[in-house]
Amino acid sequence: MARCLISWVWFANDPDMTPPRLTTHRQPLRLIKDRVATGLITAGGVGVLLAILAIGVFLVWETLPLLAIGDTLAMAKLSPLAWGTLKAAVAALLFAIPVALGAAIYSALFMSARLRSRIKPTLEMMEAIPGVVVGFIAGLILAPWVERHLASTLALIIWLPLSVGLAGLAWRLMNKKLRRRLPFSWAGLWLVPWLALMVALALWLTPWIEQQWLGGDLRQLLDQRFGMDYATRNAMIVGIAMGFAVIPSIYSLAEDALADVPTSLIEGAQALGASRWQALWRVALVAAGPGIFSAVMIGAGRAVGETMIVLMASGNTALFSASPFEGMRSMAAAIAIELPEAAPGGLTYHLLILAALVLFIFTFLVNTLAEIVRQRLRRRYRHLGGS
Amino acid sequence: MSELSANLPPRRDRFRWLNSLWPWLCAASVALSVLMLAALLTLLAVRGLGHFWPASLEEVTLRSGESFAGQAVREVTLPQQEGDERLYFTGNRDIDGARWRWVAVDEIARRTQPADLIRLERTPWGDFIGRLEAIEQHDQRWEGEAAWQRLNALLALPISQRQDSQLLLTTTNGETLRQPLANVVSAQAPNAMSAWQKVHAWGEGVWRFLSEGPRAANTSGGVWPAIFGTVLMVILMSVMVTPFGVLAAIYLNEIAHQGRLTRFVRIGVRNLAGVPSIVYGVFGLGVFVYGIGGSLDEWFFSDTLPSPTFGTGGLLWASLTLALLTLPVVIVATEEGLARIPEAQREGAVALGATRLEMLTRIVLPMAAPAMLTGVILAIARAAGEVAPLMLVGVAKLAPQMPLDGEFPYLHLERKFMHLGYHLFDTAFHGEDVQAAIPLVYATALLLVLIVLTLNLTAIFLRHYLRRQRGNEC
Amino acid sequence: MLASLHSAHTSQAPVTHFAADRCCLSIDHFSLAYAGKPALRDLTLSVPRHRVTAFIGPSGCGKSTLLRAINRLHDLNESVAHSGHILLEGQDIHDSQMNVTELRRRVGMVFQTPNPFPMSIYENVAFGLRLQQRMPKRKRDDIIEWALTSAALWDEVKDRLHRSAWQLSGGQQQRLVIARTLAVQPDVLLLDEPASALDPISTLKIEELIRNLKSQLTLVLVTHNMQQAARVSDYTAFLHQGELVEYGPTDQVFTNPRLQRTENYITGRIT
Repeated sequence: MARCLISWVWFANDPDMTPPRLTTHRQPLRLIKDRVATGLITAGGVGVLLAILAIGVFLVWETLPLLAIGDTLAMAKLSPLAWGTLKAAVAALLFAIPVALGAAIYSALFMSARLRSRIKPTLEMMEAIPGVVVGFIAGLILAPWVERHLASTLALIIWLPLSVGLAGLAWRLMNKKLRRRLPFSWAGLWLVPWLALMVALALWLTPWIEQQWLGGDLRQLLDQRFGMDYATRNAMIVGIAMGFAVIPSIYSLAEDALADVPTSLIEGAQALGASRWQALWRVALVAAGPGIFSAVMIGAGRAVGETMIVLMASGNTALFSASPFEGMRSMAAAIAIELPEAAPGGLTYHLLILAALVLFIFTFLVNTLAEIVRQRLRRRYRHLGGS
Repeated sequence: MSELSANLPPRRDRFRWLNSLWPWLCAASVALSVLMLAALLTLLAVRGLGHFWPASLEEVTLRSGESFAGQAVREVTLPQQEGDERLYFTGNRDIDGARWRWVAVDEIARRTQPADLIRLERTPWGDFIGRLEAIEQHDQRWEGEAAWQRLNALLALPISQRQDSQLLLTTTNGETLRQPLANVVSAQAPNAMSAWQKVHAWGEGVWRFLSEGPRAANTSGGVWPAIFGTVLMVILMSVMVTPFGVLAAIYLNEIAHQGRLTRFVRIGVRNLAGVPSIVYGVFGLGVFVYGIGGSLDEWFFSDTLPSPTFGTGGLLWASLTLALLTLPVVIVATEEGLARIPEAQREGAVALGATRLEMLTRIVLPMAAPAMLTGVILAIARAAGEVAPLMLVGVAKLAPQMPLDGEFPYLHLERKFMHLGYHLFDTAFHGEDVQAAIPLVYATALLLVLIVLTLNLTAIFLRHYLRRQRGNEC
Repeated sequence: MLASLHSAHTSQAPVTHFAADRCCLSIDHFSLAYAGKPALRDLTLSVPRHRVTAFIGPSGCGKSTLLRAINRLHDLNESVAHSGHILLEGQDIHDSQMNVTELRRRVGMVFQTPNPFPMSIYENVAFGLRLQQRMPKRKRDDIIEWALTSAALWDEVKDRLHRSAWQLSGGQQQRLVIARTLAVQPDVLLLDEPASALDPISTLKIEELIRNLKSQLTLVLVTHNMQQAARVSDYTAFLHQGELVEYGPTDQVFTNPRLQRTENYITGRIT
């Protein structure tokens, strides 16, 4: 404390001395600066938020002229597009929901923590792959391949789940030592080569099966027997490609929801004598239900708005057809192709903007719903004291 | 105990085996996703990089006695028949009229790989595959091996200095051709190359792909203008999105009254990230291009009307649209970073007599900087891969002028520009010879994926690093 | 029990008053409500200069709220309303003439958990100085050395002034925060349970520091640790449910409390 005696610093040793204060001449300037900056930030922030709001206002404003024209024409023009959008989204979700939810359940509840910390970011990276790349692969590589190997593709859909059951059965029969080296908590990884092998096996065998039982060519059979046309770029291709693009967003959110279910809930159920799967099915899935629902909603929002994949993999035929082997044209794709050519202020222009408005409102509502559900869920877990 | 359980109805055990199947199906879903991702990336990597590898050229003699030279591309099984069919790239469109040839494998009598087969890349007519007979320059003439060496020496010179040379070429079925050297871009004799030379040629091919402009209606050449356009657009976009995104985030998190309204605005902003990109494109076209751009034209560029200056898609409008599109990404990431800063830090600064501005600039913003950077990188990654809105607001399949050049005012915001993603789409779907363009499309796709994944990985690592650093604090 | 508390409340709380020249901080009929819920009710007390005054009371009694009110930290929160006056050296801190940032410089505050900024030790102490005025580097170095010495930290950190402050131990961090506050030369130092997050040895160091500092400035200590209040403070105020129950010299409050309620708390019957 000897240093406190340094004369200029302190006043305690000499109470009569007025303390040598720090001069504070910058005070008014500092306050003015603070006021100005706060004002600017507020103006900027509110401005940005208003600019975002302007999107909705613009879309509504530009579709107002359609009211004068009447809705029959708009319906006639837009309904095939709406149908196409719906068909593409449904096809994508049919593929994405089972795979994404299955992956989420496994990685949240069964997977080893170490593998999970690797796999989760990897799968989330899938989301970053540009739609135009996925569309190219789907439209130019996958579509012709599937056309040539239609029977194999359909066979794969049945064969892969069966082969997984086979893997499970084989695992049961394995001796303990081998089982310990291939633990179930790492199955997500070591099933990859198994699946690859099974795909190869199916591709090798199906031409023979096709030859034997299906009269050589499934496509001809479809055409003759059922009168189904087969377009190279069709709903099935779109479903696979867009499903691929949607899987990561559904997976990521559903996984979060499942991982957030307090472990005490699952353990409690198991303590009551439920098997692991029963505990999950009855407790974890139900508890995380709203979160999973909002994950699916967000996935649906993405599937509805995705442009490039549908544009490149769908053949762009504005058809009313429920066949998975025919193409479609979605609203987003129609906007991308037709809007640059449409004269501003013309009928097509307004109609396409109406399509954009529909997309905007739909995705905005779906996302808001999902977000509200998610927040409510989070609050509920907080009450449960889960982490 | 046993009495109790005796009273319970017997459980239905018939489907019990299903219970043990479900977890396996779930595990397989993960495996399937990983497999698909791996397959996609491998396909892109192999086909994208393999395109630059100097492929061997074959001289094929058919049972009919006819012969041709080409590069085997792929084989497929013949429909309805036994046997396979093979696709050859034969080049020589000026002589044969076609560049591709399907041959049934059974019809091939003999395949050889003679070392003297060469492949020339030319600006009109595309590739030539055949033999080099001689080079003529003025009255000088080189033949055989000397001609090949002379050709390589000449190709190293700039184009202006090889105007006066002529190549004498023959195809494998005996037709001859005089080819001016000025139109030749490169020459290879892949069958005579050693492995090391092939690696070298591969590296050169990759470099030329990255550094040259496209040729032959985008079916060959490089993607340099597209890379340049993408990067420039993304830079402009980040310059616009960063300050506004950060400003909005600071306002929402630090200044706005934290009430019901702020919560709704926050949810709204979050949800805008889920609005399809094409909707932003529509907004950009209607408001920026037709609205603001049209007015600008009327006020300042009325002498050039009706041809629009700013009233059509261009670099400025594209980057503005993408800035709007990525605004939610930056706002959300920055807000997350701001919310993560302990209140104690803010109070500590304020308790020392700092004003709010001083607290923000000296404590809060430096601490939130990595989060902002993460947001901007994620925004860039999203913008780099986004194509749909660009189709409405200013991307071009082939931009005659770069948006940045030596001409005043150097940065031409009104010009159209090329973009990797759109280049990919256009080449793959609107090219005249898609078959020839596909290898290049693969390479472009690989490049695009690499850029986007690298950006995302950077963001992930940054965030991870940030969380760990924050974890050490307590 | 409740009845006894209530009866104690109705009688006028005994309050020690100081002559104006000895009084540094005086709180006059001060009430504060947080989102409509009253947190402080009609407090009146004065804090003597160059002494350590401890606020004790069960958690939620409003002692931290009072401390934050003296620093006007509630300004950041819009849902806080107050009435009455707090006078610093005779000047109302809510007066329009009073500059908030200047007030906060004069009234330093140390929080429960150490909150060093994510910068070097040197920069942490220099932070407040840089806000106030430009000064030559030598003078700033001198003040920093003096502040760190006053906080009994100089010897431990003089060789690593430019290392991150987050590398220090918890006790060192808390002393760094005190040094950071001392550097801007406050008149009053408010300490909000400064040792509650620390180990016993660090706690002792902080307590010793508090005793030493009172020769230089006025200290107000909030603590829920009765022994600590008895060890370091000269005067003790007992708050309960936002009200001042008893205030007087520490010896008297601890050995011979005037009210039953105070005794109940000190002997551990109210927690």
